[in-house]
Amino acid sequence: MGSLKSNLKDAVKKLAFSTSVDQLKKKGVDKVNVIGIDRITVLIEEAVSRSLRFKLLSLDREEVAVATKEEFLRLLKSNEDLEREQDTLRKLKEQAEVQVDQLRRDLVEQQRLLADKLDVAERNARDDYLGENEAIAHRVKSLFEVLGQTGAAGDLEKRTLELVMDIVSGERRESIRAREQVRDREVDNLQRRIRKLTSSLEETEHRLSEVTAIRNLDEGISSVYREVQGLNRSDRAYGHKKELMADIFRANLALQKKS
Amino acid sequence: MTAANEATDDAKDNDKDHGVLYIGMDLGTSRTAISASNGVRECMFSLVGYPKDHVARKLLGKDVLIGKEAAEKRLSLQFYRPLEKGVLKQDDQKSLKAAADLIRAAIAAARSRKDELIYCVIGAPAQASIRSKEAIIEAARESVDSVMLCSEPFAVAYGLDMLEDALVIDIGAGTADLCRMHGTMPEDADQITIDIAGDAIDEELARLIRESCPGASFSTQMVKDIKERYSFLGDPPERVMVDLPVDGKPTSFDITDSVKAACGIIVPPLIAGLKQLIASFDPEFQHKLRQRVLLAGGGSMIRGLESAIERAMARDMGGGKVIKIEEPIYGGSNGALKIAHDMPKEFWEDLR
Repeated sequence: MGSLKSNLKDAVKKLAFSTSVDQLKKKGVDKVNVIGIDRITVLIEEAVSRSLRFKLLSLDREEVAVATKEEFLRLLKSNEDLEREQDTLRKLKEQAEVQVDQLRRDLVEQQRLLADKLDVAERNARDDYLGENEAIAHRVKSLFEVLGQTGAAGDLEKRTLELVMDIVSGERRESIRAREQVRDREVDNLQRRIRKLTSSLEETEHRLSEVTAIRNLDEGISSVYREVQGLNRSDRAYGHKKELMADIFRANLALQKKS
Repeated sequence: MTAANEATDDAKDNDKDHGVLYIGMDLGTSRTAISASNGVRECMFSLVGYPKDHVARKLLGKDVLIGKEAAEKRLSLQFYRPLEKGVLKQDDQKSLKAAADLIRAAIAAARSRKDELIYCVIGAPAQASIRSKEAIIEAARESVDSVMLCSEPFAVAYGLDMLEDALVIDIGAGTADLCRMHGTMPEDADQITIDIAGDAIDEELARLIRESCPGASFSTQMVKDIKERYSFLGDPPERVMVDLPVDGKPTSFDITDSVKAACGIIVPPLIAGLKQLIASFDPEFQHKLRQRVLLAGGGSMIRGLESAIERAMARDMGGGKVIKIEEPIYGGSNGALKIAHDMPKEFWEDLR
């Protein structure tokens, strides 16, 4: 019974909502009556047991009391399970969101690195060859200026330059091939990394959309009733209210069957 | 019903095995309140807005905005107040759609579980037209398993267990409903609807402010806010000082007399309605009715209104006692919830 009492207290606390004096005033409440949680718990217990006393034989009463406790505890437990599940899903969603953000940032960074690398490689090669070409031409020219002073130059300068450039071009081709191999490996690595990041991003985004689709993580709040209630037979105005309910029903039946 | 339909309904019932959620709703011109059997109570402005264009839709991230959110973003919206003088506007399809969206949002605010049956009672204005009632039912049916309408003042009285020898005054924005309770379901002769209520007070207050505060500019919403904060009858609790812009500069005005005069316009028609309902009642029981006048609805929050009505009753009707209910905003929805609870199972099922 102690556990039931504390569960009742927990349930009442969970169902209660906070409000401020200003909010109450806005709703037109100037004065509130206060009742302690222990008193509410005792009243519920008392009400249940009185109602059982009036309505049931002692044997049934025991059974109903046990069944009621079990049902109450089951409801509380199912509510706790739900809250736990929601909590887990919320955490999963947060993690997925963080991952997606990180993956998006990584992807952009890798794409930027790749573009930079390709750009720098091309610019370096262009600058290198331009400088080399100028240096070779300068040295050949200097050599033939010296030879010119001795009278041994002539067509020889042009042919020598062609020969040198031919040999240099061959060397350059080899060098380019070697550099390209290194660069291709780096580009391959970067492209593989980008592909992996893109696929992770897609997967995480899909997971995120699935988690988000779970009705905004809100399974709703359980009603306090497991079954349709109806008028309480012990109500002193039972007969009167029953007639009123029948009147409302008849009016609605006429209205709804017509429409 | 066909066999296929029955099979589908059975399958639906099997999915809804967790319990029954009862919802009581007070569908008002200005506010819509709900009380539910899972402890949820919500109140929202009866305002609906739809983004004006694609840019607004993208910016707002929603197709429909309801209540306060709609009021705040109204410049980007096609704006609707689907109820007018307590009844649904039926002149255009958009207003009907807005009403349906409002009812849907109010039911969603109850935060029901999808595996529970939802049975809802909606308090409608006492003299709402049949077509208006049909439109409310049709809108609600999309979101609940079974729905019933009842007279709003009757719901208030039922919620307070005052079904005999009582007279309910339910003051809303569009209308004030008066209903005589004498133990049976109220008939047309037991109910009077007056269209001088909250909105009429706003209009009168706006007119008086225009007269007494030269150059001041203000909107309908500002007037409504002033009324909700300062409304009173009788002796003022304090001077009502408000800042209103004059040529863009906030300027302080004393509007105490204007507020009192505007609030006062509601008393004479209420007294006329009370007189009519009491005078046409069995003479033997008239004094009992006079001694139990219940004041409900948002309009009942005018400070000193109950005393003002009592003074007028003493002067014109030989006295009477006015009782302001404890929760004017939720009085109707609490009563509707109680009716939903007390309604027998077979009645709910017959209407599904």
